[in-house]
Amino acid sequence: MKVVEINDVYKTYHDTEVEVRAVSGVTLGFEKGDFAVIVGPSGSGKTTLLNLIGGLDQPTAGEILVAGHRLSELKPSELIDFRMEHVGFVFQSYNLIPVLTAAENVGFIMSLQKWPKEKRIARTGELLDAVGLSDRHNSRPSQLSGGQQQRVAVARALAPRPEFILADEPTANLDSKSAETLLDIMEKLNREEEMTFIFSTHDVRVMKRARRVITLEDGKVVSDVRTNHTS
Amino acid sequence: MKDRQLAWRNLWRNRKRTLITAASVFFAVFFALVMRSFQLGTYDKMYSDVIQSYSGYLQLQNPAYLDEPTLDNGFTADPDLVSRIEQDPNVEAVVPRMESFALAAAGNRTQGVMVIGMDPGNDNKALNIRNRMVRFKLTPMAVEALKSENLPGRLSKNLDLFTGEAFTDTDDLVTILGISERDSSAILPLVRKHASFPGEYLMGGETGFAVIGNGLSDYLGTVPGDTLVLMGQGWHGTSAAGLYVIRGVVNMPNPELDNRFVCLTLDDARLLYGAPGMVTSSIIGIRDASEKELAATQARLSAITGKELSVRNWKEMNALLLNQMEADNRSGAIMIGILYLVIAFGVFGTVLMMMAERRREFGMLVSIGMRKGRLAAMVGLEMLLMGVIGIIAGVIASLPIVFLGHAKPLRFTGEMARMYEDYGFDPVMPTLLPDTFYLWQVVVVLLILAVAIAFSVRKIFKLNVINALRA
Repeated sequence: MKVVEINDVYKTYHDTEVEVRAVSGVTLGFEKGDFAVIVGPSGSGKTTLLNLIGGLDQPTAGEILVAGHRLSELKPSELIDFRMEHVGFVFQSYNLIPVLTAAENVGFIMSLQKWPKEKRIARTGELLDAVGLSDRHNSRPSQLSGGQQQRVAVARALAPRPEFILADEPTANLDSKSAETLLDIMEKLNREEEMTFIFSTHDVRVMKRARRVITLEDGKVVSDVRTNHTS
Repeated sequence: MKDRQLAWRNLWRNRKRTLITAASVFFAVFFALVMRSFQLGTYDKMYSDVIQSYSGYLQLQNPAYLDEPTLDNGFTADPDLVSRIEQDPNVEAVVPRMESFALAAAGNRTQGVMVIGMDPGNDNKALNIRNRMVRFKLTPMAVEALKSENLPGRLSKNLDLFTGEAFTDTDDLVTILGISERDSSAILPLVRKHASFPGEYLMGGETGFAVIGNGLSDYLGTVPGDTLVLMGQGWHGTSAAGLYVIRGVVNMPNPELDNRFVCLTLDDARLLYGAPGMVTSSIIGIRDASEKELAATQARLSAITGKELSVRNWKEMNALLLNQMEADNRSGAIMIGILYLVIAFGVFGTVLMMMAERRREFGMLVSIGMRKGRLAAMVGLEMLLMGVIGIIAGVIASLPIVFLGHAKPLRFTGEMARMYEDYGFDPVMPTLLPDTFYLWQVVVVLLILAVAIAFSVRKIFKLNVINALRA
């Protein structure tokens, strides 16, 4: 079952006098349970493509369907609700809310969605267990290492049971050990919960784990390879 | 996690900045309230002094008297009209008065004075002159005598500071000289012994007596029992002359009035000016002096008097004082405006810093599903909390000073006092107790915050999530 369908999508930026075509005629589909990475040199359009899939940006041409929603037809406020319900984001620099504890950060989106308190607490506990931070519920981000913060970010992204997770360079700021731990957790979640992960990365460690590698160059898909790697 | 909890925690993520911003609001509110309280308290005292010692709240006058206050513009009060006025529910009494000018002389000194003739049995229903009788006076001789009694050092110093001052009661004296409760039982008998001042107020039915202002008494070098000569022009150009025994001295709150005040009985004044049965005005003593009730009473009485006589309120009669106060009020408002401008910049500085620092966080919050309206409300709440902390602290800190300033008004001495007197003001600065002006200061700060909040809300609604995430 296709979770994301990208049909002949273009994205052009008009910076002062220069027109920059960040994404050029991309057509892709992501299945439920995919563990895919988008790779390519800097400026190849990886982050732009991720932003388009996540509804953070609108394509100049073409269409993107996510979980049956045609993103171009959604109003800005509907797009925010759409992201909250269907997309989990993991950012390169963790982006946790500094004044909240790990548990509160994980429960934040669920509280936006008005989950009952008991369910929220149960789900938060379950996710912090899954990412190996069951003993850090009450730690603030400043009390956690980079790897731990990113694991909290993954738990937060998974909390509302989204259709898929978009992770933009999630290991870029992590040391090897933390990166491997994070990838182990993501693979486990992918395997056990059939969660779809779409990464944008330069990190070879991520590429090695991926079951699908999409290469972008100058905004175009130059290869889309399914590997035989099994997690 | 509720938004208000998150807002509260965000407030303290940069503790120093929050405290500095709240402190700037605190100081602005505190200084504005204290300054305003002193300013309005001073005006209030001046108005109440002039109302209680001179004009009263309402007066019945010949319509031409306001522009040309001479005996020729006096009138003969119709007893029926007076009786109808007195039947008004808010009227306590109608006190007839004659007012004119004369040259006063005692010994080899003379002074142009204002002569007021009133019925001594009735005047306290409209004015409180009889309560202003000088009971104690720190003449140089009295001060020397008191100092010889081995008084505490601080009191001796205060005696020097207040030499020449007159006091209407012991409370006033104890406060100004700083006599402690513990010392008062020992010191007050000494003060009574050396500084008591003789004299009584006028009595109805007697003739040939006058009560004069303390300033005038000092200038002429008179004490009760001395003789005062009055010379001037009477009604329709007749000459007016009379000889009066000074029965007592009053301490009028307005220095200008104090230096020129002479009060006779109404009968004596009519005799002096050759105007039997005439008055220049009738002071209408009223029960409820609130602005609304005063206006209503004036309207009711004007309907009774018709066009023959006018009912003037104290504002019409003291237009000069009001204009003077209004000019001063505006300069005070400018000062407070500058104060608020400074905090407005402080608050905006904080907003700008906060918006810049948290741009990426805002981008993240919107990207994971927080609606911009909700985010804006949370940030607005943070700003509001920061301001409200400053406002509450400022209001609380100002209260002791305002209450103390009301109970024990600031009294200037020396050069400062002289400067005040030169401007015709009593050198006393009381505060006004919390009133609507407190509310207005708070409203102004809240408006500044509202503008700051509007700015941050606009920034959030215009936030480009992708750019914010790159920040």
